[in-house]
Amino acid sequence: MSALAKYRQVFLTGIQTNLVYRWNFAIRAAFSLLHLVYVFVLWGAAYAGQTEIGGFPLGATLSYFTVLLVLQFFLSAQNDDYEISEEIRNGLINQFLTKPINYFGYRLSLYFSARLVTGGLALLPVLVALPLLGPHLVLPGAEHAPLYTVAIPALLLSALIQFTIAYCFGLLTFWFLEIQSFIILSLAVEAVLGGQIFPLDLMPGWLYEVSRWLPYYYQMYFPAALLTGRITDLNTALQGLAIQAAWVVLLMVFARLLWTRGLRRHTAVGG
Amino acid sequence: MIAATARYAKIWLASIRYSLVRAMMFRGDFLMWALVEFIWMSVNVLLVGIIYSHTDSIAGWTQYEMLLLVGTTLLVQRLLMAFFWSNLFELGRNVRSGHFDFFLAQPGSPLFMLSTRKFDLDGLVNVPVALAIVIYAARQLGLDPSLGQLAAYTLFVLCGLALHYATLLTIISLVFWLKSASGIEGGYFGLTEFSRLPREALRGFAAVAFVFILPVVIVSNIPARVLIHGFEPVHAAWLLGATVFWFTVAVTVFNAGLRRYSSASS
Repeated sequence: MSALAKYRQVFLTGIQTNLVYRWNFAIRAAFSLLHLVYVFVLWGAAYAGQTEIGGFPLGATLSYFTVLLVLQFFLSAQNDDYEISEEIRNGLINQFLTKPINYFGYRLSLYFSARLVTGGLALLPVLVALPLLGPHLVLPGAEHAPLYTVAIPALLLSALIQFTIAYCFGLLTFWFLEIQSFIILSLAVEAVLGGQIFPLDLMPGWLYEVSRWLPYYYQMYFPAALLTGRITDLNTALQGLAIQAAWVVLLMVFARLLWTRGLRRHTAVGG
Repeated sequence: MIAATARYAKIWLASIRYSLVRAMMFRGDFLMWALVEFIWMSVNVLLVGIIYSHTDSIAGWTQYEMLLLVGTTLLVQRLLMAFFWSNLFELGRNVRSGHFDFFLAQPGSPLFMLSTRKFDLDGLVNVPVALAIVIYAARQLGLDPSLGQLAAYTLFVLCGLALHYATLLTIISLVFWLKSASGIEGGYFGLTEFSRLPREALRGFAAVAFVFILPVVIVSNIPARVLIHGFEPVHAAWLLGATVFWFTVAVTVFNAGLRRYSSASS
């Protein structure tokens, strides 16, 4: 079996596994529309009496949150950290130590399959709600095309950052029995510095500049800002893409380090 | 009746004592979780700060009125986290794995047993933080609430706790019909976000759904209003009535689910 075929099989199995829980994903996606309603109400009320906040009209801000919601389903490593942690704790990773399959590649294939299913299912309620959402949304026109082009690799790199961070948190199980608190703590930091609570450009200038050098910025805000016209300068976009790529490399090196160090602590028991 | 209540109170106290001992055995975990909750609370306060750095009012509510509203929501949520969150969250997993049998085999109401088994000290230690946010906002607003207002506020916060419990129980009970509870707790978080909105911000369909049908806005707005505007009998009756109604709905849904439960062990 060629190297790629192995991971293709994992990907296909992952799709089947995720489809078993299709109703859960569909319900989760439908619930996430509640979040969108909350965002529309909150920001609608905040904009009352003014045409712009932070230089953007209400439609641009609502578009940002709508795109962000869809991206979350396509990119967020929602359960991968917990699953990796379980596999380490239960000794299931032992099988990967003796077989010719790379654990990172295996988990990455499962991540892509899960995101395809959850992303696809999340699109359904958004599409159903589109006639209601549509009139409130404002997306940049044809002149924004070069930025859309940058958004394509940015989305792929975002997925890699999302996954690799989750992978690293999962590997912490080699050192700690319980990693849930680390994950939830990291989620809070990601939620703020990834732009999920408010668009990062509304923060004070110096804080926004600092956030641009952190990986969280590239997890969600960067592609969403490219797609919704919050970043309009091509040079800024390309510079962002370079920083994003650097973070992917750094995180992967770190993940490799955690894996090799972690395995030294790992004890495989049983027959 | 009194004897039964006393027995249940004794069981609850024993569970709390056991959870406290356990929390002190894993002090690192306890501190970490307390920090996690504190940071999530800070995120909510930060959002208020960011929005009000660009605007003066949200639906007629000033920054500190909004902070009082958010502080009240956080207070109710911390109480939920301390007493009920872990228990109800685990209900979803236990039904799927079959561990729910454990609660059915206990000599008491399954709902009471599953709701009170664990107590999270890390949720409770953040209650003073939420209270501090409320007090800080009230002082900034120059409020001087009477004893009656404070008593009503306490009662309304407890009604809020019951409403949050009822919402979460109803949502998690869906696990009796679904294959997995993974993700359905998101429904609770989706709904409770509305608690951080001023009632006046909701119009049209959103007002009908989230103010008049679901109790998710009144749960925080009515307690906050009693401190800001004083006691309003209509609001008090509304909140108390909603608490009784939604608690009944939650117990009915749970009992219907319980009848579908057919274990999972081999």
